[in-house]
Amino acid sequence: MQSLTQNLSFLSPLFSQVSESPEPKKIQLKSSFFKNPIFFTSHKSVHSPDKPISTGVFPKNSIFFTSPKCYHNPDKPISRNPRNSSVSCITAHEIPLQPLTVPEKVHCLACEFKSLPEPIDRVKRLLHYATLLPPFDESGRVEENRVKGCTTMVWLQVEMDGNRLMRYKVDSDSEITKGFCSCLIWLFDGAIPEEVLSVKTDDLAEMNVGMPSKGHSRVNTWHNILISIQKKTKNFVEVKDKDRSLTEFPPLVGSTDGFSVYGNYKEAQYMQESRQAGNEVEGPT
Amino acid sequence: MMMASTTVESAFLKIPSFGFVNPNNATSKLVSRSSVSLRFGFHFRSCATSSASAAEPASASSPSSVVNDGAKLGPGSLGHITRPDFPILHQAVNGSKLVYLDNAATSQKPTAVLEAIQNYYESYNSNVHRGIHYLSARATDEFELARQKVANFINASESREIVFTRNATEAINLVAYSWGLTNLRPEDEIVLTIAEHHSNIVPWQLVAQKTGANLKFLELTEDEVPDVGKLKEMLSKKTKLVAVHHVSNMLASVLPIEEIASWAHDVGAKVLVDACQSVPHMVVDVKKLGLDFLVASSHKMCGPTGIGLLYGKSELLNAMPPFLGGGEMIADVFLDHSTYAEPPSRFEAGTPAIAEAIGLGATIDYLSGIGMERIHDYEVELANYLYNSLRSVPNIRIYGPEPSRVFKRAALCSFNVEDVHPTDVATFLDQQHGVAVRSGHHCAQPLHRYLGINASARASLHFYNTKEDVDDFIRALTDTISFFTSFK
Repeated sequence: MQSLTQNLSFLSPLFSQVSESPEPKKIQLKSSFFKNPIFFTSHKSVHSPDKPISTGVFPKNSIFFTSPKCYHNPDKPISRNPRNSSVSCITAHEIPLQPLTVPEKVHCLACEFKSLPEPIDRVKRLLHYATLLPPFDESGRVEENRVKGCTTMVWLQVEMDGNRLMRYKVDSDSEITKGFCSCLIWLFDGAIPEEVLSVKTDDLAEMNVGMPSKGHSRVNTWHNILISIQKKTKNFVEVKDKDRSLTEFPPLVGSTDGFSVYGNYKEAQYMQESRQAGNEVEGPT
Repeated sequence: MMMASTTVESAFLKIPSFGFVNPNNATSKLVSRSSVSLRFGFHFRSCATSSASAAEPASASSPSSVVNDGAKLGPGSLGHITRPDFPILHQAVNGSKLVYLDNAATSQKPTAVLEAIQNYYESYNSNVHRGIHYLSARATDEFELARQKVANFINASESREIVFTRNATEAINLVAYSWGLTNLRPEDEIVLTIAEHHSNIVPWQLVAQKTGANLKFLELTEDEVPDVGKLKEMLSKKTKLVAVHHVSNMLASVLPIEEIASWAHDVGAKVLVDACQSVPHMVVDVKKLGLDFLVASSHKMCGPTGIGLLYGKSELLNAMPPFLGGGEMIADVFLDHSTYAEPPSRFEAGTPAIAEAIGLGATIDYLSGIGMERIHDYEVELANYLYNSLRSVPNIRIYGPEPSRVFKRAALCSFNVEDVHPTDVATFLDQQHGVAVRSGHHCAQPLHRYLGINASARASLHFYNTKEDVDDFIRALTDTISFFTSFK
């Protein structure tokens, strides 16, 4: 089970103090995000003493600066609709236990960005998340992986693993866009396709840094990448569903010995069409 | 490459040529702002990527003026005087004063234009060319008056040579489909440049596919201007159309249109000029330039969106078939055929953008009141100031020619910052400093590809911008670069 510190790592940008000492330090969280400030210990120094922190610039390689993680209290009813979600942003009195679903993550992310007081803070938060994006293989930067319609270059690779969970890799030549991508990966990577397809661009409007428009636009990166993710996810689902239907519903063949399953649908179609064309085909008639 | 100093004034409103504020007022007032303190809060440093030759300031003789000449960019400049006319400029964005430097995308509108549109809707909104009642007659008069103002503004022979379209893009499509489909044959050639806006490339691609014509593209010189020297060599008896920009929306370069038109006519080709970035900023005289077609957009010249103009020589328009079919463009309609109206109505199907046309008329009044020569002179100074200021910022690459006696630049700079994506630059400029610039390909993807880049940022000015706007932009850009550098 993850430590409390790791569980609360998504709160790292809200730290008001950092410590260089290797000794565990108490760190107070100050933010209107919480009802009461909470204290917890750090296990590592949170920034390199060689790298001074300037306003809004977050240090790298800290255990606290991992991908945003949100959890829900299983005692609270959960709604699949992120707008109606009763998942509140974590308070001092709640101990998180289970990973969130995609709609809950969307809500969490929206809370996080909404809590940032200035638009520039959202830019800086995205730049921070850009540093968390896993490296993208150069071989993936091909035209077929490009997300069309963006003013920046975005490459997206989509796969479905053996457990029918979606896996995404994404990259961009723009740091802010990388930040968007990082958030989307956190939302969707490892999710079931139906959850990915359920998210609407309106749900992500709170994260749309500097872009009040929710609609289609060359600079509305959220919209373009989300649409691309969902399109490719849908393609995977359709292909997998088609393959599954072929194996799940093979044709029944009747013979004097009764009915039995033979081949698959495509084979049966081929045999039928060939016989209708007058060709000899092996297999039961 | 400087435009000839032909002054085109509205025949309908004579006003002093300086300090003009609102041409629709019975008495025009000279409004000047109190002296503006000049800020020199930033330090110029030599740019690592600057080229060797020092840019000479482009100077153009300007008509003498009682108030504003001398310190062209200082207090009392054209920008300072006209800014009060543009209410949108006086606001804060993300906590900072708005610095609007995206004029090549669209310009802001003076109060005079806003009031003209509101007055139309409040006082005499009615359909044109149809009704016989008072409101319709007045609306028709104002609509046609606007057309006459446009004709005068570009020195067309008559108002019937002006077709109102939705924008310049539609105007080019009109010529492509109406003139092009009728006149182009297989193996005919259309000459363009690689620096054209998409609106002056894609319609020709579509029509070339239908007719079998070929497109030929003029490339750039080392100075990053279209190679006009090679253009003459590209022309032949096969050339049927030369379709080029007047001012590049990315390179800021200005083409010698008069020469190009002469060469084109020598081989029997027609000339279409995309004047979207020139009509708002300088005197454009279609007769002097010898043009067959010219297109422009109202919204780039302080007019409303939703209306553009096509200028076409009478004999050409008369011979062209309709583009869109419907009401207004017909003479008689039968079940099996129809006959068509004369130009310009033949090309204005349906109810036109009446308020917008009237707004465009008011725009021309406003611009004429200032004087296009004066606007151009001021913007040349501002262009040089912008270029030199930007060039002094380290790790900046500016596209297009260096300003000199040979190359005049428009008041815009497309640029890139080393190792920082232009969209990131533009986002930070907006979010942190309230500076509005454009990032992307500026509807010039072939040009970007030619230059080996995916995107660029662009700052573009208009006569209501000031030296302080440029200073604020440079200061903000320096901070932006510093932020991303320290972030990395």
